[in-house]
Amino acid sequence: MGKVLEKKRLDAFLRRVSRGADLIAPVKRDTLRFEVVRDYDDICLEGRPLFPIKKFFSPAKQDLFTLNLTKKKLFKEDEIKLKPRVIFGGRLCDFNGLLRLDKLFLSGEYQDDYYRLARENTLLLGINCDPPPSEYCFCESMDLERYYDLFFHDLGDKYYVEAGSAKGEALIMELEDYDFLIPPIRCEKKLDRKDLAKYYDDPAWEKENEKCLSCGKCTAHCTTCLCFDMIDELEPDMKRGKRYKEWDSCQFLNFTLVAGGFVFRKDRLTRFKHRIYHKLQYFRENFGVDMCTGCGRCIEACPRLIDFTEVINKFDQSRV
Amino acid sequence: MLFSPKPFRIVKKEAQTTDICLFKLERPRGEKEKLCYDPGEFFQVSVPGVGEAPFSVCSCSHDFIEFNIRGVGSVSNKLLELEPGSYMWLRGPYGNGYPMKDLIGNNLVIIGGGTGVAPLRGVLKYVEKHRADYEKVHVFFGFKRPEEILFKKDMEVWNRIFDLHLTVDKAPKDYKGRVGLVTKIVEESGLNNKNKAVMICGPPIMIKFTIMTLEKLGFNHDQIFVSFERRMKCGVGMCGHCMISGLYVCKDGPVFRYDKVKGVHE
Repeated sequence: MGKVLEKKRLDAFLRRVSRGADLIAPVKRDTLRFEVVRDYDDICLEGRPLFPIKKFFSPAKQDLFTLNLTKKKLFKEDEIKLKPRVIFGGRLCDFNGLLRLDKLFLSGEYQDDYYRLARENTLLLGINCDPPPSEYCFCESMDLERYYDLFFHDLGDKYYVEAGSAKGEALIMELEDYDFLIPPIRCEKKLDRKDLAKYYDDPAWEKENEKCLSCGKCTAHCTTCLCFDMIDELEPDMKRGKRYKEWDSCQFLNFTLVAGGFVFRKDRLTRFKHRIYHKLQYFRENFGVDMCTGCGRCIEACPRLIDFTEVINKFDQSRV
Repeated sequence: MLFSPKPFRIVKKEAQTTDICLFKLERPRGEKEKLCYDPGEFFQVSVPGVGEAPFSVCSCSHDFIEFNIRGVGSVSNKLLELEPGSYMWLRGPYGNGYPMKDLIGNNLVIIGGGTGVAPLRGVLKYVEKHRADYEKVHVFFGFKRPEEILFKKDMEVWNRIFDLHLTVDKAPKDYKGRVGLVTKIVEESGLNNKNKAVMICGPPIMIKFTIMTLEKLGFNHDQIFVSFERRMKCGVGMCGHCMISGLYVCKDGPVFRYDKVKGVHE
């Protein structure tokens, strides 16, 4: 059983649970985006931000080392400074995205310190999608987990609040009990799940891919895309500088460039397929789960509205 | 930290060709810790201010590491400017090298082309140290021209202790050595697949044709080990740059048994 929180008490509640931490929530600016909240009136739960929450766990640009070519110790590790955070207003697709990224950054022999610290210091307060906030949402097809510290469901003048962790439970102890069953998310858009291995050469890929501009917006907006490059940059004095990590995209031509000039995925079609196969087949082979949470951002953000779900839904079954 | 490079002292630099040098590195003086790496594995080598690039080891030792570096990119060209006494910054070793221990008791067939010979030099250095563990060792190395032949001193030794076949694609008329593609001399060798493991490293096109030749000679795909080249950025299976289908060249490879990677989508 969960609890109930009157909407007029939401600000006070958020203030309490985010004491000493940054409160991050969807804020309406030029567009709706997750930002550190300055004014509680800015919080907007209508629609879902087109930029996912991954930047709070692995920033678009993250300094790793300070370089000083005049010193014996050329590399100085940059200290990781992280304030505790509370994310309010994330959706199940957002939080499930973190579960996928955990596999990539925390499950292997090598682990990403910044990501781990960010994960350990962030409370996840989600909001249910009833109805889905975008016409491009198709998470119902993606077997999402009910993963959160707290989950809010809008009941008009109040929220039904459910805990998904011990931390979350502690936050709502004082609220009044309430009996309610959170309805599952229902999406109009569907992904017809298929064994992609059989369809690598299906002509449907080509047709949709013809529209692609290789701009990389799909990967930038993706909940789970976190491929990165590592770059050195020197100040004009050529003595001091930085080594930093920066988001990269498998959709860019130079992503597979090796010294000498050879590029392994030269054509857009191969790059498009690589993105989708990574999401829906390769990641599953490696980690037992899809790397897509059905948020639909890659479709909505694409300047040509390239929709991989349409490709997959359209596959010619007779060809197999 | 995950990506922290450590300094290694350059103790020797030997020009191999006009744009290739062999570097020998040791831990800084006073550091006693033994080195631990296997042939086929790689290190990320840094040039502060320029960047990092992966290089396969071409040695086999607990005391030093050797890299055969060709100036083809921004990092490698800068590395070639370094002289003995200065430092190279490394992190690693990363990846899975050649499965030397699993191949004990086998005849080895080693086929390399151009700078692809470098990681295989690590294999041969390993075999030199563990000679009794392996049966016959057949080596086929191809280079474009006589002046591009690498590791000439090693070749003399290998010619004595292994069955070495050295060839160049093109040569002036007065060249005394063998001329012809490496695939041709493999084919002419008349090797059978009995109790043999093959290791190939070289340009993608050379790997492709060598495998076709080996198929003709009756080799199975699970007897063949290939090494892939990709530009790893992280080296630890995160950055995505070296992915081939679901495989990370940096951590699942760079050495793969061919039957596991045959026909995978790029």
